[in-house]
Amino acid sequence: MVRRRHRPGLAGLAGVALVAPLLALVVRAFADEWRSPALLPQRFGLRGVRIALGADTGSAFANSAEVALLTVVAALVIAWPAARVLGERRLRHPAPVFLLLAMPLLVPSYAVGTGLTEWFIRLGLDGTTLGLVAAHLTVVLPYVTLVLLAGFGPRLTAIEEMGSVSGLPPLRRLRLVTIPAAAPTVAAAALLGFLVSWSDYGSSLAIGAGRPMLPVVLLPFVGSDPQVAATLAVVFLAPATAALVFTVRAGRRPL
Amino acid sequence: MLAPAVLVMLVLFGGAMAGAVRTSVTPLGGHAGAGAWSTLLHDSEFHDAVAFTLRTAVLSTGLAALLAVLVALAARRSGTVVRALLAAPVPVPHLLVATVAVLWLAPGGLAERILGGLPFDVVHDRAGAGVVLVYIYKEVPFLVVLLLSAMGQGYRERDEAAAAVGVSPAQRLRWVLWPTIRGPLVVGCIVVFAYVAGAFEVPLALGPSYPPTVAEYALQRSDADLISGPSVAAAALLVSAAASIVLAALAVRAAKDPQGG
Amino acid sequence: MSDHGLRCTEIAVSPGGGPPILRGLSLDVPAGTRTVLVGPSGAGKTTLLRAIAGLEPLDGGRVQLGGRRIDGLAPHRRKIAVVFQEPRLLAHLDVLDNIALPLRAAGMRKQERRRVAAAHLEEVGLAALARRRVQGLSGGEQQRIALARALTAAPQLLLLDEPLGALDPNRRGALRRLICTIQRDRGLTTVVVTHDRNEAAELGDHIALMLEGRIVQHDEPRGLFERPVSAAVARFFGTTNLLPDGDATLAIRPEHVVLADEGELRGRVIETTYAGDHVRVIVDCDGRSITAHVAPHETPRVGDEVGIVLPGERLWRVPPRVVDHEQR
Repeated sequence: MVRRRHRPGLAGLAGVALVAPLLALVVRAFADEWRSPALLPQRFGLRGVRIALGADTGSAFANSAEVALLTVVAALVIAWPAARVLGERRLRHPAPVFLLLAMPLLVPSYAVGTGLTEWFIRLGLDGTTLGLVAAHLTVVLPYVTLVLLAGFGPRLTAIEEMGSVSGLPPLRRLRLVTIPAAAPTVAAAALLGFLVSWSDYGSSLAIGAGRPMLPVVLLPFVGSDPQVAATLAVVFLAPATAALVFTVRAGRRPL
Repeated sequence: MLAPAVLVMLVLFGGAMAGAVRTSVTPLGGHAGAGAWSTLLHDSEFHDAVAFTLRTAVLSTGLAALLAVLVALAARRSGTVVRALLAAPVPVPHLLVATVAVLWLAPGGLAERILGGLPFDVVHDRAGAGVVLVYIYKEVPFLVVLLLSAMGQGYRERDEAAAAVGVSPAQRLRWVLWPTIRGPLVVGCIVVFAYVAGAFEVPLALGPSYPPTVAEYALQRSDADLISGPSVAAAALLVSAAASIVLAALAVRAAKDPQGG
Repeated sequence: MSDHGLRCTEIAVSPGGGPPILRGLSLDVPAGTRTVLVGPSGAGKTTLLRAIAGLEPLDGGRVQLGGRRIDGLAPHRRKIAVVFQEPRLLAHLDVLDNIALPLRAAGMRKQERRRVAAAHLEEVGLAALARRRVQGLSGGEQQRIALARALTAAPQLLLLDEPLGALDPNRRGALRRLICTIQRDRGLTTVVVTHDRNEAAELGDHIALMLEGRIVQHDEPRGLFERPVSAAVARFFGTTNLLPDGDATLAIRPEHVVLADEGELRGRVIETTYAGDHVRVIVDCDGRSITAHVAPHETPRVGDEVGIVLPGERLWRVPPRVVDHEQR
């Protein structure tokens, strides 16, 4: 069969239209003066960077990154066994478990945060890393579970059987066979989980107790100071992009 | 094997919901009562917020679904580059898209400068058009990814088989494409709807100042009154959560019905 | 006799907690020999293989290998290597590291195990592929790599599950010969599963026919083709002519039936089918169909009356008791 030559059609145009607006953000971040109706900034500079650095950005970045990383690790460890059971269709009636695990997708994360605040204040957990990770975990776990279970199934069990009959005991089999074979799925789940936690606004606001988290710091600037907002947005986007690149590389090893 | 995940969900999610219910009926330092719920019932701002949220969510979900099906159809034979471009906005946070939208579409923004004036106003506009636009920008790629993945699994072969026995293109859309994408589309739409109905960073960034969305309303109450505010906020959020869950159940039921398609 | 080979005694298996597939199956494979398990789809061949390898738990019975009991051992302790129907190679490793996996399990150092793996790769004739990724290799190449990996484990027992199943017919011969050569050179105790009776004949020192979870006959290839113990065995191996003789049944293969002008039986030809190297002729003989394979240039025409000769030394009397047992 003749391979169809690629035409940059409607889909290609749509793709470009979706990406281009993001580039303006970088320009805006370094535009100290950009008054209407000029199409290019009158003066470039680092005013945005200076103000952004002053606005809790450093600690917000660190907090958000710490919480997101811990949340992803916890979510992967907790979701892995459940996703294997569900992905390999070992349950006769999986629907109730599915429903329970997917439920937080249907509920505003601010509601989850508000509800947990009730207990966390008593336990002294509001504003702590543990409290934030617990709240984010509630929101992130469904995404991670759903991505993992979509990638698990007969092919992974087949590879594991091969590992067993090749003489690998269970733990080494997990390290040498199962995890490498599942790497693309795990990477995709980790990326999605990281991004959901990284950009979560509702539960961070409710549980944070004033502790700076990046989305919470960014939002007020969107209306008041576009340059600072753009600077923070670039900072906000950077780890997301890094995580994406990392995942694409990890995902090069198909199952 | 299931125990850790189920336990975490029961404790954290169940605890969160129980906590929200408890908060809604016990104002800080006050006595238990349905005061917050009766406030909601009689507050015309809450009614407006429900109507506005519902309209925004329905419009965003419906338009995003429609566009996503068209884009997925157009891109079903595209290569990796186009697919990657189409999927690019999926990992971009909503708040970031809102920031970009303000940059481009606000009065005096880049779009106005390039075009010399916009015929409409979408930032902080009363109708909330900007909010819907941002959601469409974010959710169309999300749905396209779901649809393309569903269409990757033997759709083309089935479509060719149908064409080979004389089924017309329009009939194939109905008999081959629709059954292929219905499941993922419904699931995707449920997630999109629930997200739009419950999130507030986008409306906070570029929505109208009145009416608020339900989540914004909850936030405002929380900030405005430290004593009874959290109760009203929790009650409002529970209404939003319950509505999403009920609508999701109805959608799943409709999608399962073979005649419902 | 088979103290040092494989001995399965009365094993019962219900895969995945479902209905039982094997109930009280026994099988002996003497050390250093090759047995082919053959049978129709669903007979339980793969289940038996998986049970021997420890991938399905036993409901009952024993599995012994080299005189020691292995049914309580985890799969990785059984000293058994398996070549599955699909190659099951690891996409993140190159060809050599895939082959070296069992050595890595045994704790051998990287340089050493790659050297050993290279020797096995050469044995299966793919030395040039050592550093390639496994994606993009053909099905036949991947299956040879899987075979090399199994050999690297230096197993006491080699199990092959439809190893030729994924290959196109022209490539099967080479891999089949390779399997036979390797087995013979090493004196490796080997069980091969296939559903194809001709492949079974070419692969096996011995053939064990499985029907509905039981081994119904375990014999040399000729035995199954020419001396079936039951009508069901006869049918599976293509002995289509079953003639009642008192309370017993006489069986004769179509290629042994001779059509002649004279003969003790007479009948009318009702169908002829050209099959390349022979013609299948069906003769109606008093309401009973007899099939004969004849050379293409000797084919009678439909409607001809012919004599049928059934050479006495080719006639096989199927034991009656077993016939009753097998006929449903």
